[in-house]
Amino acid sequence: MCSDPGQNMIKSAIKEKNLTGVVVAACSPRMHEPTFRRACAEAGLNPFLCEMANLREQCSWVHPRTDATTEKAIDIVSMLVAKVKRNAPLFPIKVPVTRTALVIGGGIAGIQSALDIANAGRQVVLVEREPSIGGHMSQLSETFPTLDCSQCILTPRMVEVAQHPNITLHTYAEVESLSGFIGNFTARIRKKARSIDERSCTGCGECVTACPIKKIPSEFNAGLGLRSAIYVPFPQAVPNKPVIDRGRCTYFQKGKCRFCETKCPAKAIRFDQQDEILDIAVGAVVVSTGFTVVETSFFPEYGYGLYKDVITGLQFERLLSASGPTLGEVRRPSDGKTPKNVVFLACAGSRDPAKGIEYCSKICCMYTAKHAMLYRHKVPDGDATVFYMDIRAAGKGYDEFVRRAIEDDEVRYIRGRVSRVFERQGKLVVKGADTLLGGQQVEIEADLVVLASAAVANPGAEELAQRLHVSYDGHSFFSEAHPKLRPVETNSAGIFLAGACQAPKDIPESVGQASAAASKVVGLFSCEELTREPVIAVVNRTAPPAYSTCAGCFMCRSACPFNAIESEEIKGRDGQILKTLARVNPGLCQGCGTCVAFCRSKAIDLQGFTHEQMYAQVMDLFA
Amino acid sequence: MSALQVQAGELLASGKAEVVIGYGEGTRGRVRPVFVRTRADVSLLVFDGRCTANLTVYLAKPEVGRMGKAAIVATPGAVRSLIQLIAEHQVDPGEVVVLAADDDAVTLLTDPAALEAYAAAHPVTIPPEAKAVTESLARMSAQERRAFWDAELSRCFKCYACRSACALCYCTRCITDMNQPQWVCVAPHALGVMEWHLNRAMHMAGRCVQCGSCTSACPAGIPIGLLAMEASRSVEKEFGAQAGLRCDAPPALSSFAADDRESFIL
Ligand SMILES: Cc1cc2nc3c(=O)[nH]c(=O)nc-3n(C[C@H](O)[C@H](O)[C@H](O)COP(=O)(O)OP(=O)(O)OC[C@H]3O[C@@H](n4cnc5c(N)ncnc54)[C@H](O)[C@@H]3O)c2cc1C
Ligand code: SF4
Ligand code: SF4
Ligand code: SF4
Ligand code: SF4
Repeated sequence: MCSDPGQNMIKSAIKEKNLTGVVVAACSPRMHEPTFRRACAEAGLNPFLCEMANLREQCSWVHPRTDATTEKAIDIVSMLVAKVKRNAPLFPIKVPVTRTALVIGGGIAGIQSALDIANAGRQVVLVEREPSIGGHMSQLSETFPTLDCSQCILTPRMVEVAQHPNITLHTYAEVESLSGFIGNFTARIRKKARSIDERSCTGCGECVTACPIKKIPSEFNAGLGLRSAIYVPFPQAVPNKPVIDRGRCTYFQKGKCRFCETKCPAKAIRFDQQDEILDIAVGAVVVSTGFTVVETSFFPEYGYGLYKDVITGLQFERLLSASGPTLGEVRRPSDGKTPKNVVFLACAGSRDPAKGIEYCSKICCMYTAKHAMLYRHKVPDGDATVFYMDIRAAGKGYDEFVRRAIEDDEVRYIRGRVSRVFERQGKLVVKGADTLLGGQQVEIEADLVVLASAAVANPGAEELAQRLHVSYDGHSFFSEAHPKLRPVETNSAGIFLAGACQAPKDIPESVGQASAAASKVVGLFSCEELTREPVIAVVNRTAPPAYSTCAGCFMCRSACPFNAIESEEIKGRDGQILKTLARVNPGLCQGCGTCVAFCRSKAIDLQGFTHEQMYAQVMDLFA
Repeated sequence: MSALQVQAGELLASGKAEVVIGYGEGTRGRVRPVFVRTRADVSLLVFDGRCTANLTVYLAKPEVGRMGKAAIVATPGAVRSLIQLIAEHQVDPGEVVVLAADDDAVTLLTDPAALEAYAAAHPVTIPPEAKAVTESLARMSAQERRAFWDAELSRCFKCYACRSACALCYCTRCITDMNQPQWVCVAPHALGVMEWHLNRAMHMAGRCVQCGSCTSACPAGIPIGLLAMEASRSVEKEFGAQAGLRCDAPPALSSFAADDRESFIL
């Protein structure tokens, strides 16, 4: 039937016999309903007057070849005939699209998405929680597998974002709520008070020099460096404008100081600045809020974070980085000496059900090889040892990279898990088992221990997901709509994912997904209107004085999983409210029918599956 | 003048209410609803043990709404149904004040918080005869219960007094009155009656405030309220939601809480 001759039969029957409805007894509607509906439409019949009787999945595939099976097939067809008699012509719904995208999170993923969308000629609003964009990539020294300098490849992109005519950047800002639906969202953005007038500030940095509070652990340096209360997170920050950390500033805490104000040549300091709330209309959203890593305090067996020379991989990146607290020389935190013996622990926390993180953090094998390699480059007479469970280096040039660390840079790889790191006579001792040597115990003295600590969801990811109405998994990473076929979409239409907020990812993958999300957004924005299937719920209308059999109880509103039900007031000529009813927003309704089941007075009905149609279909079975 | 009459008079005089809905003397020693719109008429108001019908049933009616701001004489059960009506968006709490009456006192309640406090202080009271029936029903097997209801419902002739007496049966068009499709058989035979009452019980699940008004309205003496009450008690047991206690309560059946018990999902 689905072949061209089959379709032609239907088309000519519609014309010759003047058909007002068609039932195709064949496979599942999921498979070929669009085919047959298109054929009907081509013959001039409204496509929604065509129904599929599913004889394949619901009958011939599941029953043996008997008379009873044939009877069932006849019943199924007859039920659909009863239904189709009551079908009404339906017409696609058009919803206007606001062609501006909201990108949440300005790490490399967000930056890439924003640039791609902006370069396609659409407007982008990029919202970043921190004072600067850049995310984790700005903290990295050099990047696997090619060892190019992270800042050098990232900074030009950050600047491009700031200068792009199609991108509006809001840093030190958060999305408070998102309402509306695909094509028509409203995002409420809170721009936190920076205490600086961004327009007049020239970024000279006099204020930072003037600030007397200088001993605050720097977030950018993962706690290994210090910053002042008024600060620019790092020299290449975009925007390069300082922000006052009100929780640490003496003026905000004790009411006295204002040194920065006296030194600012541009008179840009604003102690009385308030948070600003912006409501922005957008048509699509890309969520790219990234990830974080667990801190050393997460590991009782590695000293609870009490040993200064047990650090995370992210901290080691800062020690390797030319812009870091040691200007790129590897010096350990406790005494500033160059460590001669560095032990790297891969899978610190990851793949460990006992720690609640049973997944692989994916990036650690690679960056641990990178760390060991870079360390050997910087300290050629030092020893690098890596404890690993197994090496996962799938990716272009990845395994070669690890081999290089082992073979050219002579990093010692020991297969096994480290049970404990402790201090003995002022020296760190790493104790583990070498599983390749039959579980033989090994103890290594170390000057510095680097934990490839597990990549986890950002704090606050759940709250953000709830605000955006997207789902998240048991580890609070955001969930894609389909793990294979819809990896960048979420279950909420018009909201897409990019980067490590979905699962731990390296830079190439984050960028790839970011471009994919951008192409989805640009595709969505290619038309001024969205066309939607008219299979949606509607609240009935009747003559006055009832206006509708809806009593306005709003039981349906709380039932709707898509927030598609709103209230509508029927007003008289004098503006007086005559009745308050439920109304289905056709842009939001997904046609699930949940509301229909709850309405006591059956005032809400699903187009294409109305009460009348369903009742006729069921009653036909008993006729 | 009784305390009730004095308070009603003050409400009308001050304009805080344009109509007082209360009980008045009827025929043959019974009480009937009265709508008092002038101060002179407050003498019509009575309140005593005969006043059990739930007057909030009038509040959701458009013709009553057009009379203006209302004051209503309410028993504790009626206070609960008013709270439920507010929760179900049928009554605007700003448009009604309550003269809550029980045996010995009249309390003026003017806002949702006061209504909720009053409801909390006056828990549901089940008349002893209803309690006895409930207890004996609980001891019965499913077949015995079915036999009990078949016998009781055999007297129902579908006058719909139970529906009219229930404040929460406010649907613009009741499902039993629909004919496209006709969900419920209209005939008052065994099947038609069972269909009607099962439907009503399901529609009252999580909403019945156990005021007993339907049972007192039934001319055939059927303890019909027990069905709705039982359905509501099941909802309370599963979801901890008792109807008629909170003006902002979400619908028990169509809302979701992370700690819902879900014990019915196998
Ligand atoms: C130690 C270490 C070394 C690494 N080395 C390499 C390497 O050599 N090569 C490589 O390819 N990859 C490497 N990676 C991985 C790399 O860091 C990630 O792939 C990359 O940072 C992911 O980018 P992202 O934009 O998805 O997330 P992030 O970089 O985490 O950026 C997310 C951004 O969103 C912001 N944000 C978070 N929440 C909100 C919110 N609610 N509202 C607004 N904004 C928000 C954050 O402030 C941040 O700016 C390394 C990772 C680690 C931990
Ligand atoms: S459940 Fe039915 S009656 Fe209640 S508001 Fe929704 S459509 Fe109206
Ligand atoms: S059909 Fe589903 S999505 Fe549409 S209004 Fe009803 S409950 Fe909401
Ligand atoms: S009031 Fe009694 S007789 Fe009338 S419909 Fe209800 S149960 Fe039946
Ligand atoms: S069904 Fe419940 S709320 Fe309605 S009248 Fe009967 S007892 Fe009262």
